[in-house]
Amino acid sequence: MDNNIKFTVENLDLFYGDFKALKNINMNINTNEITALIGPSGCGKSTFLRTLNRMNDLIEGVKVDGSIRIDGEDIYGDIDVIKLRTRVGMVFQKPNPFPMSIYDNIAYGPRAHGIKKKSELNEIVEKSLRRAAIWDEVKDRLKRNAISLSGGQQQRICIARALAIEPEVLLMDEPTSALDPISTMKIEDLATELKKDYSIIMVTHNMQQAARISDKTAFFLLGELIEYDNTEKIFSNPKDSKTEEYITGRFG
Amino acid sequence: MNRSIKDKIMYGFIGLATAFTVGILLWIIGFVFVNGLKYVNLDFIMSDYDSKTTYVTIPVSENSTNNKLGIDFEIKEYEDTNYPVITSIDKSSKAKEAVDKKGESFKLRKGDIIKKVAGKSAENLTALELNEVINNVDTDTILVKVTNKGEGIFPMLITTLLTILLSLIVACPIGIFAAIYLTEYAKPGRLVRLIRFATESLAGIPSIIFGLFGMIFFVVFLKFNYSILAGSLTLSIILLPVIIRQTEESLKAIPNSYREGSLGLGATKLQTIRKVILPNAVSGIVVAIILSIGRIVGESAALLLTAGTVARVPNNLFSSGATLTVKAYAVAEEQGDIGMACAIGSIVVILILILNTLSKLISRKLNKSNA
Amino acid sequence: MDINLNMIEEKNKTTDNKTFDMKIDKRRELLESVARKMFLLNACIAVICVAAITFFVFYKGLQPFFSGNAEGTYSLVDFLTGTQWRPNDDINSALYGILYMICGSLMATVGAIIIGVPIGILSAVFISQIAPKNIKRIIKPAVELLAGIPSVIYGVFGLGIIVPKIMDISPRAQGQSLLAVIMVLTIMILPTVITISESAINAVPQAYIEGSYGLGASKIQTIFKVILPAAKSGILAGVVLGIGRAIGETMAVMLVAGNPIAGIPTSIWDPIRPLTTNIAMEMGYAFGLHQEILFSTGVVLFIFIIILNLILNRITAKAGEK
Repeated sequence: MDNNIKFTVENLDLFYGDFKALKNINMNINTNEITALIGPSGCGKSTFLRTLNRMNDLIEGVKVDGSIRIDGEDIYGDIDVIKLRTRVGMVFQKPNPFPMSIYDNIAYGPRAHGIKKKSELNEIVEKSLRRAAIWDEVKDRLKRNAISLSGGQQQRICIARALAIEPEVLLMDEPTSALDPISTMKIEDLATELKKDYSIIMVTHNMQQAARISDKTAFFLLGELIEYDNTEKIFSNPKDSKTEEYITGRFG
Repeated sequence: MNRSIKDKIMYGFIGLATAFTVGILLWIIGFVFVNGLKYVNLDFIMSDYDSKTTYVTIPVSENSTNNKLGIDFEIKEYEDTNYPVITSIDKSSKAKEAVDKKGESFKLRKGDIIKKVAGKSAENLTALELNEVINNVDTDTILVKVTNKGEGIFPMLITTLLTILLSLIVACPIGIFAAIYLTEYAKPGRLVRLIRFATESLAGIPSIIFGLFGMIFFVVFLKFNYSILAGSLTLSIILLPVIIRQTEESLKAIPNSYREGSLGLGATKLQTIRKVILPNAVSGIVVAIILSIGRIVGESAALLLTAGTVARVPNNLFSSGATLTVKAYAVAEEQGDIGMACAIGSIVVILILILNTLSKLISRKLNKSNA
Repeated sequence: MDINLNMIEEKNKTTDNKTFDMKIDKRRELLESVARKMFLLNACIAVICVAAITFFVFYKGLQPFFSGNAEGTYSLVDFLTGTQWRPNDDINSALYGILYMICGSLMATVGAIIIGVPIGILSAVFISQIAPKNIKRIIKPAVELLAGIPSVIYGVFGLGIIVPKIMDISPRAQGQSLLAVIMVLTIMILPTVITISESAINAVPQAYIEGSYGLGASKIQTIFKVILPAAKSGILAGVVLGIGRAIGETMAVMLVAGNPIAGIPTSIWDPIRPLTTNIAMEMGYAFGLHQEILFSTGVVLFIFIIILNLILNRITAKAGEK
């Protein structure tokens, strides 16, 4: 087993009822890299992202064919979805901290998995907030409601919250599309820092963002994976003409 | 006819209609308060409903100012006869040591009626004559026949409170869990449609039919007899649609992003419900409870057939007992006593006013926090 | 630099210790499954209740019409068309005719609707379209208070004010009459009609209203020619609910109806015995066939309500289609 590969996706099809949203996706996603998923609206990149932690299960009438393996294990097999989601964490497009204190937000995941001791939780909360580069800003107001923070801060809290369950993978669904440029920059820096310890897969609408921070880029169009390669290659010398058209702004 | 004349006429009708609506409300409330508030005082709230007559032995107080009992009284009419009625009890009087025939301490109260003193009837005596009778007694104690005329709502208050408690204990868990199923688990389909149809139907059934069901099922079939248990269980069924509807609304108001966030962290559905959803639905549930209390306080037909009309403090679940509203009806129907009915009615209207205001305040707080 | 190294070390530690075990936690899944079933069970209780109520009431109420009934039988036709109600231990001389009660209930309901619905709709128009904000703030809670007052109080008001006033002008010697019931029911359905009509009126798209004003129509014209027709189905739903309330009302009417043992009402001064009060009045001491026939009265009432609910469903379904 190649130690560098985190996810192996083979012949993945996804149906919303009769509609085939993902068509025959094949790709290997590497460990400790940032993999960007780009493409126009409705191309299936978010849908694909959500197959990696089985969040699509929550939608009525969804059917998945093919296989996705994490470290060799088929995640659509006879496995515990709850445990999968602790290995594969997610940050959503619109920051969604719970209407609770910052502390309780971060501690939510660990508590749900049985950690009750105050000292342990304190440690985890601090560690996660530090990793999300927001500890200094909130360390004196941990009891404050997370909703009272700015959008950018809320998103970093959500990142810290996801990190608190110690995942191996971090899925990010357009994490900066609802944020201002300064917060966006902070989160991009954060992702670059985090990839040393986590495998990050990020859906982004912003091609410059993909070009800036990702190691590999996957271009989706109408449910198909058109091209998947090193980011430099995709943006300087794409193989497929459709990729080139998208990158140069011909459509999108 | 001129357009503006037509318009003015319509405005007139609209104004009349609204004036009628508001006017009727004011008239009804005015009627209830005017006829009823005069009876409402602390005694009214704390006394028993039925009158109670006791033989009481009262030690003599030698150094009292008025008479050997140390009691002041006034002659008033009761049941078509004049009796002395206690108006105040001297601080130095030994009346507080009064005991009844069983030797238990008996509390003499303002408003109690003296019917006999030391074997002599107090009917139609003047104040002077009564004082003479009292002071002529040469023993250490005087035997007095005392009637407490009751006419209080205390038993009904207790019955109402107990009924509220029991009905809520049964209906709230069922209603809240049902609402949770409908919002968090249910997939659109025949079963869900059936459940919603049933809930809507329950809301439309008149209380008398609930009363019929309650009677035949709880009172007769389950042999609970007329009891607050039968009444409360019947009321729980009436409350179900209210609680389900209100809880569902507050659950639906919680954004889906919270649910996704929680599940994405590897929490289970149950954990998500317990830790994220329910805590945020609490104010909606409180509103549901307040609405339910209002419904219970006002309910009468269903309770008439399941809990009876006896004014008493229920000593266990299987006692029958009348709530405030049921008793108000019974008083009006059986005795035509508008005054008493309005007195009870005043209390009920005040309760409803308080509940309405409370639920509005909480709703406003709920809307503010969501916005 | 140090911090990074520490973090990586820690990460590797946890990675090494964590068994990549994604086996399903059976105990937890069992708990989730049990919880789900419990929630479902509670949701089904509503269904069970409706079924039970329907079953028990219909069962007891239909028994007297089948031969071989333990308490005796009574002819369904006589029951529905008879005009006298004289319960008697001797089955042969007992009369249980509810036709005059059905008439009484229907006439009272129709009367209440004829008077109450226009007043309700016009009041709703006032609250929604005409009232300035501070008046609205007073009237809306007033209507809600009206809705919350227990029916008994309406009945006591009826007994104390309406009945004596009717007695003054009535050719009969008593004030309890069809007219009294109509007046009490009118007042009682007002909150229902007003609140629902008001919602329906508020739901009319602003575009329609602006369109009308833009064409130079006056406020009154807009209200009656555009808004009310657009709110038609909502208002109709409110009316149907009002009918349901009127037909099912027991306690308030019991005090003002008169409750005679016979006689189809022919004028508004006649006393009536609505179906509901028939049940409530005698249930306390009825037994045997008498009690069963009271349940039959309940069945008739129930059937009226079911018909009303079906009509209501049809109306709201049509409104949904639009």
